[in-house]
Amino acid sequence: MNRILALLPWLLALALLAVLPQVLTVKYYLHLSILALIWVIVAQGQNLIQGFTGYVSIVQAGFMGIGAYGSTLMGLNFQWPLWATMIMAPLITALFALATGYPSLRVKGHYFAIVTLAFNLIIVIVLVNYSELTKGEAGISNIPKPWGGNREAFYYLALVLAASLTLLAALIARSRVGEILLAIRQNEDLVAALGIAAWKYKLFAFVISAMYAGLGGALYAHFQGFINPEIFGVAQSLDAILAVILGGSGTIAGPAIGAFLVVFLPELLRFADSFRLILYGLILVLATIFMPIGIVGIAKAAFARIIRREVRHGG
Amino acid sequence: MTEPILRVDSLAKSFGGVRAVRDLSFTVSAGEILGLIGPNGSGKSTTVNVLSGVFPPTSGSIILAGEPIEGLPEAQRVGRGLSRTFQTARVFPEFTVRQHVAMGCHAIRQVNPFASILPFGSWRREQADIDSQVDEVLRLCALHPVADRPVASLSSGQQRFLMIATALAAQPRILLVDEPAAGLVEHERQELAELIRGIRQRGIAVVIIEHHMALIMALCDRIVVLNFGAKIAEGSPAEIRANPAVIDAYLGEAA
Repeated sequence: MNRILALLPWLLALALLAVLPQVLTVKYYLHLSILALIWVIVAQGQNLIQGFTGYVSIVQAGFMGIGAYGSTLMGLNFQWPLWATMIMAPLITALFALATGYPSLRVKGHYFAIVTLAFNLIIVIVLVNYSELTKGEAGISNIPKPWGGNREAFYYLALVLAASLTLLAALIARSRVGEILLAIRQNEDLVAALGIAAWKYKLFAFVISAMYAGLGGALYAHFQGFINPEIFGVAQSLDAILAVILGGSGTIAGPAIGAFLVVFLPELLRFADSFRLILYGLILVLATIFMPIGIVGIAKAAFARIIRREVRHGG
Repeated sequence: MTEPILRVDSLAKSFGGVRAVRDLSFTVSAGEILGLIGPNGSGKSTTVNVLSGVFPPTSGSIILAGEPIEGLPEAQRVGRGLSRTFQTARVFPEFTVRQHVAMGCHAIRQVNPFASILPFGSWRREQADIDSQVDEVLRLCALHPVADRPVASLSSGQQRFLMIATALAAQPRILLVDEPAAGLVEHERQELAELIRGIRQRGIAVVIIEHHMALIMALCDRIVVLNFGAKIAEGSPAEIRANPAVIDAYLGEAA
């Protein structure tokens, strides 16, 4: 019974998202919703390494870039079908994450954050300067889109992927592996003393998070039809971190809610005109200071309070 | 005489120019309680850290059940049967007591934990197995009344028992306990002594570091005394109490 009750909000949200394209009159909002679903995937990946394992990675947008450029360039140069390159994108990203994760996961805390940030910078520098392959800062346009660019169809593709990858994240989180990741976040020294080779699990979380980002990047490329290095800079990596913090770090619903926030909030603030980004920044700063447990954390606490009150009144 | 579980031979550990442990040799047998005592800075904790694999030794060998382990990483030593607890409370505060102890079972499980992401078949049996093993350890350590409480809500004394319970979940052949009685009140110390005797009865060797002399003298079969990183005495509690070198370096006249 409790299990079904816990699933209810998820089913409601899914149903709501499924009918969304039919009720949205402004096509631009459909566009933003697709971007938000792509960010749900990226944020779920970020949450695995940041929220569960406790290692704040600042390279997620760089990994998106590897997925985006990987899929695009394979299609362009080898004439592989779009579906094949999109499936390859997370695998290529995983290889990069294996190579970068092994050395960087040896350091903890801020050091890990800085090492991954450096990787993001390097990825952008390579994308800008290796212009024979990547076309440099000008970027690549006319990237093939599935279904001839039908937005509604793409929306459902993004929805199915975002939902299944959220489910996968939930399965990982409640598994033995997820428990070990949570243990690493709480006390890594103790994990080693209990005979658990922590590095295997950290690397697993990092590589999976990169695969989420790589797929997100490939989706982005084939949705927008245009990519350039700037899109995959550190600023976007910070957006992934913010999505996790705003929504609720270490929860499953959190990154999904946070992803919609980081896509829609800057748009909803358009009324503020040129103060828009300043206002957005202000909201982010205040949110991280005053609600570090995120929206999901606050909702859980409020829910628990209501239940306690009812128990008291009832008894 | 049976082959000892642990044989430490000419162990040495230096940090730069500081020789924290030098030429230390001793053995521990199954079902034996060995006390490791000495003044602060005499190298007791360094010894435990080198034995458990936090640092590699500078020289010397560590033989566990006939096999050298000094080259193995920390995590693998637990799988071979050597577990430890820490001087200060190191726990996972967000877990329940049951979850916490289950983390200790990990080292000796055969099923790949990645199989638990899709929890069918073999993992279900594995989980049932882990649950019964955790229950047994919780009962041994008298933690079953608080099994479903979050670790953060336990008293510091209970957290010390939890550290021992979690180490025991790995079914060690030898358990190193680093100052388990620190911060315990009298009745908790009694329970600790009972627990350690219970562990010994299961055929597990125990190496205990402790400053509480009454506890050490009451519990240990044998005591090794360190001073400035070197062994200055070894013997039964009665022999140690009467040893002039030990009285001079550590116990003082009053003991």
